[in-house]
Parts: sequence; structure tokens; C-alpha cells
Amino acid sequence: MERTPTEIVRVENIVKDIRPGFGLRKKRVLHGISFSVHQNEIFGFVGPNGAGKTTTLKVLMGLIRATAGRATILGHSVHETAFRRQIGFLPESPYFYGYLTGREILSFYAKLSGVGRAVRSERVEQLLEWVGLSDAATSRLHTYSKGMLQRLGIAQALVHDPEVVFLDEPMSGLDPIGRVEVRDLILRLRAEGKTVFMNTHILHDVEMVCDRVAIIVGGRIRYEGGVGEMVAGGEAQVDVVFASLPAETALSFEERFAAQLRGVGDRVEARVAEKVLNDVLRDGLGAGAEVVSVSPHRVSLETFFLSAVERGGEEGKR
Amino acid sequence: MTSAVRIWAIAMNTLREAVRNRLLYTLLFFAIFMIGAGVMLSSLSYAESERILQDFGFAAIRFFSVAIAIFVGVTLIHREVDRRTVYTILSKPLSRAEFLLGKYVGLLVTIWMQMAIMVVAFIAISTMTGALLGSSHAVAFTLIAVELAIVVAVACLFSAFTTPLLASFFTGGIWAVGHLTRDLRDIGAASPSEAIQQATALFHRLMPDLESFNYATEAAHGLVLAPSDFWLPIVYGSGYVAILLLLAIGIFERRDFL
Repeated sequence: MERTPTEIVRVENIVKDIRPGFGLRKKRVLHGISFSVHQNEIFGFVGPNGAGKTTTLKVLMGLIRATAGRATILGHSVHETAFRRQIGFLPESPYFYGYLTGREILSFYAKLSGVGRAVRSERVEQLLEWVGLSDAATSRLHTYSKGMLQRLGIAQALVHDPEVVFLDEPMSGLDPIGRVEVRDLILRLRAEGKTVFMNTHILHDVEMVCDRVAIIVGGRIRYEGGVGEMVAGGEAQVDVVFASLPAETALSFEERFAAQLRGVGDRVEARVAEKVLNDVLRDGLGAGAEVVSVSPHRVSLETFFLSAVERGGEEGKR
Repeated sequence: MTSAVRIWAIAMNTLREAVRNRLLYTLLFFAIFMIGAGVMLSSLSYAESERILQDFGFAAIRFFSVAIAIFVGVTLIHREVDRRTVYTILSKPLSRAEFLLGKYVGLLVTIWMQMAIMVVAFIAISTMTGALLGSSHAVAFTLIAVELAIVVAVACLFSAFTTPLLASFFTGGIWAVGHLTRDLRDIGAASPSEAIQQATALFHRLMPDLESFNYATEAAHGLVLAPSDFWLPIVYGSGYVAILLLLAIGIFERRDFL
């Protein structure tokens, strides 16, 4: 299938079987996953631990071979090497040669990525400055903290000014200030016209920076689409808080309107579908209760994610 | 950027790692000490003390160079995978074959540099004691260097798919067998059983014949060697290294870095 001009990453029916241990039995970790990443978007690849996020990313980076299916980046098969000049990759908890200094390793990666000698030094210094490691540029990497290594990992992914950046848990190991800085950096990459693919299980980061997401659970894609569409999806609901609501009236809300009731002090909160709001208000007021508040209920990303995980778990059992 | 430049970049990084590894300096110092200790050993002999000095020197250079080659070589690829440094490297525009060849060249340059320092020590001690030095010494040292190229390639091959412990057993075993395979073939040829004759001949063909790189005794005796004694082992060694590296690349290309 031809890729559309804006399609940067295309994953089609990728299956991956692995052999745990030395036995002949295979375990399927990716069950025919498909998704695509569009130009100049920040794409969140979200899932719980062990869902297959890193495995998918390794297939895209050519570090493991898919058992079946096809993956392309910028129209090139992931098994090619030359096009990697246009991509950057930050692995999860990156490891580097401890005997090199920050400046030496960035220069080494720049050289491997084909950055010309004339601009290499300038680019390395620029990246060190961006990620706040200029003062540690001459220190050997075995003296770096986890957070510093994470920053260095981001720098090496960007040292050759790639078009597409793949980040595996980019906020991992960073303090709150570091997280904000990396978040800003990711947003800056998009502003510069780059495409960012981000593996993460931190939903707050997804809500803050991602344009679109795919949720993977148990090696299967459960959702692919915009973050806004995801949280806005489903039937609209409202939360109505009553004071002095008689118990029998509250119970009747459960039976008649499938209301979810919650006691808050002497008050009762009823979550009901928006379409039955008028009936609920009329009956409550008619029973002598007082309406304290009425507010729309937004499905949070967390709720959506948890329900996707639960659905995935139930299907996995079947 | 050409393939050669990428291979060289990996090789120079491998060399830099070795240069910053203090343990290798210790091994090198010990090797030079052993070459020097040959002076004491040769003084115990009434006759041919220079020959004993040089025999001992050649043995020390061969043994310590092979020991360093195995010691560093068996972790060459395995450590990159184990420490996951290979993830960032292979995400760059660099093929797995280029990476493996770069690691091989880097280690070989390291081992050859260490051997060159040992050879300088050998020449210095030989000159001080008045021992003979001739063209056959140059041939003998060059062929030890070719033997080391094979040992590093064997270590590289095993390092591409197994643990350092197993790789060191296999590499050390192949090195030892490589020095015995010619004798084994000759013993087999004297056997009345045709099956044993064929088996030992086949084994000799498959295993590296490392004795074909051993001209230490001839050099210590000051014998003049024929040109074919020099070129044939080089051609044989180069072919053997090429086959080993192709095998290593084939295995490394198929590996999943889970």
C-alpha cells in the first residue's frame, strides 16, 4: 500500500513471536498491530508495562525482526540503514560507553550519523547546551547520574538534526524540572516541523503533549486516534449533587435512570446520562431535595486507558 | 559518508576503550617483564643462551598477545549487547556488518599495537645481549600477527552469539587445537584405519592450522626462510579470517536484541 504524503511511520499487521528460554515453544508478544504516524505530530504510544511498546519500537529501529507484517519509516523498510540519517532514537534508560566524555560520545554519534566535520563540533556544543550538560561535557559518562544520561540520550537522538524522533519513555529518570524541560523540548521539536513518536505509560504527559495516540494492551492495539476525541468519546454524563435527598428517591434513580450514586457527607452525588437530567432534577426537587450543583462529567484519559486495559485483559482470558 | 569511514569510526572507538582500560597495561607490563626474564633463564644455559632467550621471548609474545586477544575479544560484541550500547549505535545509519567489522578492526589494531611494544622490548633485549636478529625475525613476527588476526576473528565469532565464558573456552580451545591439528593429521595418516585418516585430515582442514604461522624456532636459529614461507600463510590466514568474519556477520545479522 502506498503511503500518503503525510504518513511518516506505517505499521501493518506486525506480528512478533519470541522464544522465552531455550524451549521450542513460542510466545506471541505482538498480535498483528497496525497504526500510522503523521507528519509533524507528536504521537503517543501508550500502554501498561509488558504491553509491547518497546518491542514495537525495536521493530521500527531494526533491532528485532518482525515475524510477519511490514513497517516503514519515511517510505523506507525498517531494515534499510541509509534512511536512518533522518531518524533519531532514544532507548529506554539509555546506556553509553562509560570511558567516554559527554562531548566525545556526542561527537562519535554525530560522526556515525554523517554529520560533516565542519559543523560537527558546533552541533555537539549546541546540543550539550540544549540539554544542560555543557558543564559536564568533559566528565566521563560513568560519573553521570541517571537524569544526566537521559538528557545525553536525548542529545544523541537529535545530534544529526533528524526529521523523525523516536523516544522510549523520555521522562524516565528525570526530576520534575527535567520533565518539564523535556516536555518543552518535545513541543519545540514539533514547532520545528519534526515528527515525534513517544512511548510512554505516563498519561499526564500524553495529555500535555500528544496530538494522537495508540493504546496497546497485551500486544494488540485498542485505540488509535486523537487525544481530544478519546476523552470526549462515549455518552455524555452529568454529575448532580443533591442535599436532603430522601433515600427512597435516590434508590429510584438507580433503578429508573441507571444512576451511579455516591454519598458525600449529607449530600448525594448522582452520575446520570445527560439525556435524563431533566427527569432527575424534576423528581429530586419534587421529593423535597435541594440541588447543590450540576456539572458535566468528562471521561478522563486515565479512565479511558483503564477501561482499554480491562477490555484487553478480558479478551486475553477468552 | 562511506562504509570504510563508519567502520573506522567504530574501530577507533574500540581502540580508545582499550587504551583507557588499565587492566591491559598490567598485562602488557607483565608480558614485557616475562620477555626480560628470558635473560635470567638463558644465563642458566652454557650453550645457545641467545637462542633460549629468543625462544622464550617469542613464546611470551605469542602467549600474552593471544591471552589479551581472547580476554578482550570474547566480550567484544557480547558486552555491547549486554550493556545495550548497541541500541543507540545500530539506530544510526550503520549496518550490523559495518559495526562488527569496526569492532574487529579496532581490537586487531589494539592487539597489534600491544604486540609491537612487546617486539620492541624483544629487539632491545636481543640487541643488549648480542643475540642474532635477521629477516627471519621479521617474518616470524608478521606471522604471529596473522595468527592473532585469526584468534581475534574466532573470539569475535563466538562473542556474536554466546557468553564471554563460553566464548573464551571455545576460542582458547580452538587456539590450542590449532597448534596441534597438524600433528594430529600426521598421527592419523599413520593409522591403518582409513576412517581415522580421513577424519583427522578433515579436522585439519576445518581447524585453523596455526603451526603454519610458527617460525619462531627458525628465526631463533637464524635460518633463512623461503618467500613462500611468508606469503602462503598470509594468504591462508586472510582467507580463514574472511570466512570467520562472514560467519560472524551472518549470525549477528539474524540476532534479535530483545
